[in-house]
Amino acid sequence: MANPMRIRAAAKDGVTEVRVLMSHVMETGQRKDSSGAVIPAHFITELTAKHNDKVVLSAQFGPSVSTNPYLAFKFNGGAKGDKVVVSWVDNKGDSRTDEVQVA
Amino acid sequence: MSRFSKTLMALFVGGATMAALAPAMAFDRYQGIGRPATASEVKAWDIDVRPDFVGLPKGRGTVDQGVELWETHCASCHGAFGESNEVFTPIVGGTTQDDIKTGRVKALVTGDAPQRSTLMKVPTVSTLFDYIQRAMPWTAPKSLKPDEVYAILAYILNLADVVPADFELSDENIREVQERMPNRNGMTTDHGMWPGAGAAKGGIGNGGKPDVKNVACMKDCKKEVQIVSALPDYAQDAHGNLAEQNRPVGQTRGKQTGTPAEQKGDAAPSAAAATLALANEKGCMACHGVSNKIVGPGYNEILAKYKGQTDAEAKLIAKVKAGGQGVWGAVPMPPQGHVKDEEIKQLVQWILEGAKAQ
Ligand code: HEC
Ligand code: HEC
Repeated sequence: MANPMRIRAAAKDGVTEVRVLMSHVMETGQRKDSSGAVIPAHFITELTAKHNDKVVLSAQFGPSVSTNPYLAFKFNGGAKGDKVVVSWVDNKGDSRTDEVQVA
Repeated sequence: MSRFSKTLMALFVGGATMAALAPAMAFDRYQGIGRPATASEVKAWDIDVRPDFVGLPKGRGTVDQGVELWETHCASCHGAFGESNEVFTPIVGGTTQDDIKTGRVKALVTGDAPQRSTLMKVPTVSTLFDYIQRAMPWTAPKSLKPDEVYAILAYILNLADVVPADFELSDENIREVQERMPNRNGMTTDHGMWPGAGAAKGGIGNGGKPDVKNVACMKDCKKEVQIVSALPDYAQDAHGNLAEQNRPVGQTRGKQTGTPAEQKGDAAPSAAAATLALANEKGCMACHGVSNKIVGPGYNEILAKYKGQTDAEAKLIAKVKAGGQGVWGAVPMPPQGHVKDEEIKQLVQWILEGAKAQ
């Protein structure tokens, strides 16, 4: 299973800033290994972020996103102690969900 | 640091006994200038933390405290997770649990990581402590208290999964952390960068011998330096003909390599180069690469197959002339009757000699 994401969420003046560091190879499917064989594509396709139970961000990812993607975004609202949940799914069907409390 | 204070430092590093001698040595040379540094002045300078942890201040700090401090003092430049590539290469990234076990960062050996992060490279945790204490934050060096450095370091180590999230780093357990540094076994000493005597004489490095192995030229030496931009002969065919690999439109044209066309002006092409040109001219190269299959097998594959077989030359000459199929697959080679017999012979001999470009 994939390594956990690192997430930090901080509320300030009614806006919550979320920063996420994912751990993923994000293999494009374009590269070849030393013996010339194509390295199969393996990348995150979808990402969702929820504040408590409401979706605040939903994104489609693709092979042009770097290894170990870093994502930062803000949403209106959110208070200390609220839950922020981030999940992704990749093209092989692997997935990962992690959560933090807003600081 | 001025040259003057450097001299002083050199003298004082040895400690109290040296300090006692210092006035007699340093100040005889600079009569009437300055005074010996006091013990507390020396102490203020002496902040280095060594790999054996000499100089490490007492203190402690948790990962949680480190998060707060990192956000305030470091994240703006190094990123929330030490991942930023903006002011400097990332502090964290590219290390694995396996590296922590082996003490050698695999991505440094395989070249897998696109970049080298601090935690991939640094073998000693003391160096991180020392550097952060002495030099960071960039805008306010030496402003952090020892406990703060411990906390920030605990956070950095947690980001790399060297220590758990509930860890408290202190002068008491930092040695155990050293045993988990991902690249702790990655330091080499057999080179000239270490000052002092070589390892053979009780020092660390090789005694300052440079890496280059330049041998003084004693005869038939070049008289003048000629600056050119050229591929050396041995590299001509390293990547095939570059001219063919670039688009024929736009500004950039690949250089002719691997064919005699690139040979410089007056020099007559070598026999191998002439045969390569012949292979191009007679269309063999449309179906055969020197080292890769196109329609037919690569010349190196042909060579590998027939190496050491005495009748190979005759057999292959007949095959090229008459064409045929079945040895390398179902695709046939058409008869090459348009090529003269002696040219076919020349081409086959060339293939069996390795299809060299030069
Ligand atoms: C204003 C921007 C800035 C801030 C703030 C800052 N740094 Fe740096 N940091 C740099 C730069 C620039 C370098 C590279 C310095 C050099 O090579 O001379 C660096 C280098 C480093 C390195 C050495 C990396 C290596 O591989 O050599 C470490 C460790 C580090 N910083 C930790 C910290 C910590 C911990 C903090 C917070 C206490 C911090 N930095 C705050 C800009 C900053
Ligand atoms: C139209 C494509 C084509 C052209 C042009 C061509 N070849 Fe071939 N060549 C092949 C194929 C296909 C084979 C594999 C035939 C087989 O499997 O028996 C082959 C096989 C060979 C072999 C190995 C034969 C064996 O039995 O192992 C040699 C040597 C060779 N070619 C030399 C040449 C030379 C020299 C020329 C130029 C005069 C040339 N070829 C032109 C397609 C071509």
